[in-house]
Amino acid sequence: MASDSSWIPGLSLAWLVAKAILFSLLGIFLLLAFIVFRRWHRGRYFRRLSQRTVVLREQWPDILSGKIPGSAWRLNVLDCQIVEDILLDNIEISDSQQLPPLLACLRNSGLLDLRIRESRCSEGWHRRSVLLALGRTRAPEAVPALVEALESSSEDTRVAAVRALGRISSPQAALPLLDRFVDGELHVPQHTLKNALLNCCRGEPQVLVPYLHRVSLRPRELIARVLGELADPGLGEELLILAADPLPEVRASAARALAKVQPEISFPVLSTLAVDAEWFVRLRAVIAMSSLDHAGKIHVLLRALCDLNRHVRQRAAWTLARMHQGKEEILEKVVATQDNYALQAFLSELERCGSLEAALDGLGDVVDQAPGSAGVENVAAVVREHFAVPARVAAARAGKL
Amino acid sequence: MMPFIAFSNESLFVFYLVSNLINLALLIVAVYKNTLHRYRLEGLRLEGLKLSPFTPPISVLVPAHNEEMCIVANVLSLLDLDYPQLEVIVVNDGSRDQTMGRLREAFGLHRASIVYVAEIGTAPVTGIYRSLAHPQLLVLDKQSAGSKADAINAGINAASSPYVCVVDADSILEKDSLSRIMAGVISDPERVVAVGGIVRILNGSKVQGAKLKEVGLPRTHIEMLQIIEYLRAFLVGREAWAAFNLLPIISGAFGIFRRDLLLKIGGFRADAVGEDFELVVRLHRYLQDHGMDYHINFIPDPTCWTEAPSDYKSLARQRARWHKGLLDTLWSARDMLFRKRYGRVGSVILPYMWLFECFAPLLELLGYVTIVLAAIAGCLSQHFFLQFLLFGYAFATLISVGSVLLEEMNYRRYVSWRAVGWLLIYCLFEHFPYRQMTMFWRLRGIWEYLRGDLRWNQVHRTGASASSHL
Repeated sequence: MASDSSWIPGLSLAWLVAKAILFSLLGIFLLLAFIVFRRWHRGRYFRRLSQRTVVLREQWPDILSGKIPGSAWRLNVLDCQIVEDILLDNIEISDSQQLPPLLACLRNSGLLDLRIRESRCSEGWHRRSVLLALGRTRAPEAVPALVEALESSSEDTRVAAVRALGRISSPQAALPLLDRFVDGELHVPQHTLKNALLNCCRGEPQVLVPYLHRVSLRPRELIARVLGELADPGLGEELLILAADPLPEVRASAARALAKVQPEISFPVLSTLAVDAEWFVRLRAVIAMSSLDHAGKIHVLLRALCDLNRHVRQRAAWTLARMHQGKEEILEKVVATQDNYALQAFLSELERCGSLEAALDGLGDVVDQAPGSAGVENVAAVVREHFAVPARVAAARAGKL
Repeated sequence: MMPFIAFSNESLFVFYLVSNLINLALLIVAVYKNTLHRYRLEGLRLEGLKLSPFTPPISVLVPAHNEEMCIVANVLSLLDLDYPQLEVIVVNDGSRDQTMGRLREAFGLHRASIVYVAEIGTAPVTGIYRSLAHPQLLVLDKQSAGSKADAINAGINAASSPYVCVVDADSILEKDSLSRIMAGVISDPERVVAVGGIVRILNGSKVQGAKLKEVGLPRTHIEMLQIIEYLRAFLVGREAWAAFNLLPIISGAFGIFRRDLLLKIGGFRADAVGEDFELVVRLHRYLQDHGMDYHINFIPDPTCWTEAPSDYKSLARQRARWHKGLLDTLWSARDMLFRKRYGRVGSVILPYMWLFECFAPLLELLGYVTIVLAAIAGCLSQHFFLQFLLFGYAFATLISVGSVLLEEMNYRRYVSWRAVGWLLIYCLFEHFPYRQMTMFWRLRGIWEYLRGDLRWNQVHRTGASASSHL
């Protein structure tokens, strides 16, 4: 502020400041102008979009049947975008009967070929949005173009291609993904790949099995995880092998999948997994056990109810409390474990599913037959201490205990 | 004397010039990053994330101290979030009001004998409660240690998910905010260890049952100016720093962290004034010490709405506290400065925070003093003085307008022409006189810190998040 001279070599401070002010003011003006122009432009675009959507919706049956030829709407960018959006939205929610006319419209209008060509020729974000649109078409002829995009050097493009192949939802789309993945040539986030494989292999999980034998460590865990979600009874033997895998994630996936296999096969394996060294394997085994129809599972669940891990314990309690057979008998067995945490978890779940009173009633009958039972008194004490439903519990106790 | 005044004034000019040029560079990076993020969002399907069995579970931690007005509605809104595997852990931090009673009544809580292992030391937890109606809700009742950090640590101990999300009890998360923020984690789960979302100002918006019904603008100048300030801080500052993996802070109101790492670094520091800033700096330190390849990210679309101070006194207290937290953290991390092992964190972001955040109010004050001295000494060029002020003002306003542009281009929470018009008008006042006011509040923070006054200083809130404006 003192003078125009400066210790900054070669620069007059006043000159520099003046330039900076002009630059700043010009910048502010340009930003304001851009904001105003953009709002105006968007408003205008959406008004036109809305108007044309109404018109095209009215003509929709004729567009779909081909009475209005593709050339009538494809050459207009806005119309083409609207029709494509409507088609893709319909394809996504269509069943096998509704799909053919929608795909026929895409093919006959040349739109599908156009998008396939664009996916090969374009670059950057345009290519990625075209890839995603191709995936939404669920058209088998889009798969080769999508597979080509897996080779892209851009991770965003590869991710878009994997997502698109996932949306195709057919084993045909899963195979190139699996081939590249087991060869270590596909570098995309695991979550994206898992979801894509899940969608593609839903109807045929057997597709995954040969690949599972070719890989180890993380890739093996990934494929096993997907298999665990999709497994069907036909995979029984494969799952038994996986249940003995050295990788805990694979064992957990096998436990998850064994819930869908015949109880005679899965029960012994799940019983072993329920005492696995890793808590999440035990948890998966207990969850799987809950859906099995096998008389021996009570013993396994009672053991899991005393597990060191609270998640395993809670899940075992959840399953035991929802079993149809004699709650009072289970309650007695739980009391017999002399594990207060187990008892607490079980009583909480009994109350949560509305079976506490019935269990107490049944227990009362047991008391009448064997008065002075320490176990029953223990139950009563826990109930008294922990539950904020005194009236209901007191009534049950007054009548029976 | 005269050469000193001249040197001081010119140094001040260079300081402002460099500060504004850095901000301009951050704005350009933020525009690029925001645009990239918008494109990526187009390919992402949140629906798929919600339906996927592979989406990792999250424990949402809600520290609550005397929050009886809003706790029930806010917990209900958290339980209603669109996320497949969610656990909500409310930590009642020694509330003296009816916070615990309201929770017990509303959610049918009953005491549960759950094993609680205090892996991070906290004040004693006196009870753990579960809800009959909401199995995913867990409530910890603990004695107060006088800090939010201690309550969060208790929540981290009880959490069962690999990721924890820390949320203020009086803030409102948008329904899809967890899915959106986790999209940032899932894209690179090996490297991304923490993610921050944007915090926006709730004042003036319509809220019903802790759910945001309509975004609006507040009526007072001070609240409007905070909106601009938040937009600039989050959409420009945090977005751009995160691009270089130099994010120095994840807001305590909304952020996601990997739980195993929090346990390794001992959780939040209970006696820290700015526990959120301190935690992120300590995370950087730990990860760099262990040579880990990591990314602490910021994602601009998952939104948390929070109530900002609406009176000058509360705002002054808040800003003084923030500055104390800044100084406290920077001081405790002083050994990271310019150390090779801490890479860009030690050589770029920490020096930046010292110079352009921590010392900025002192330098500004020095500038005003030398201007007065120059005027007294008769060596003040009025022409140049005005030019200098105009430069500082115009350049900084450019950045503020740029942050409104980012909001307008990508997120558009403020839809009407009128709202955008008001935001742009208030951009003109952020750097005069609002900045000068905050300078004094920040100086007060420095003074209090130097005096050893590290009290929390409660901020008065009107309870907008709990009230119904409809």
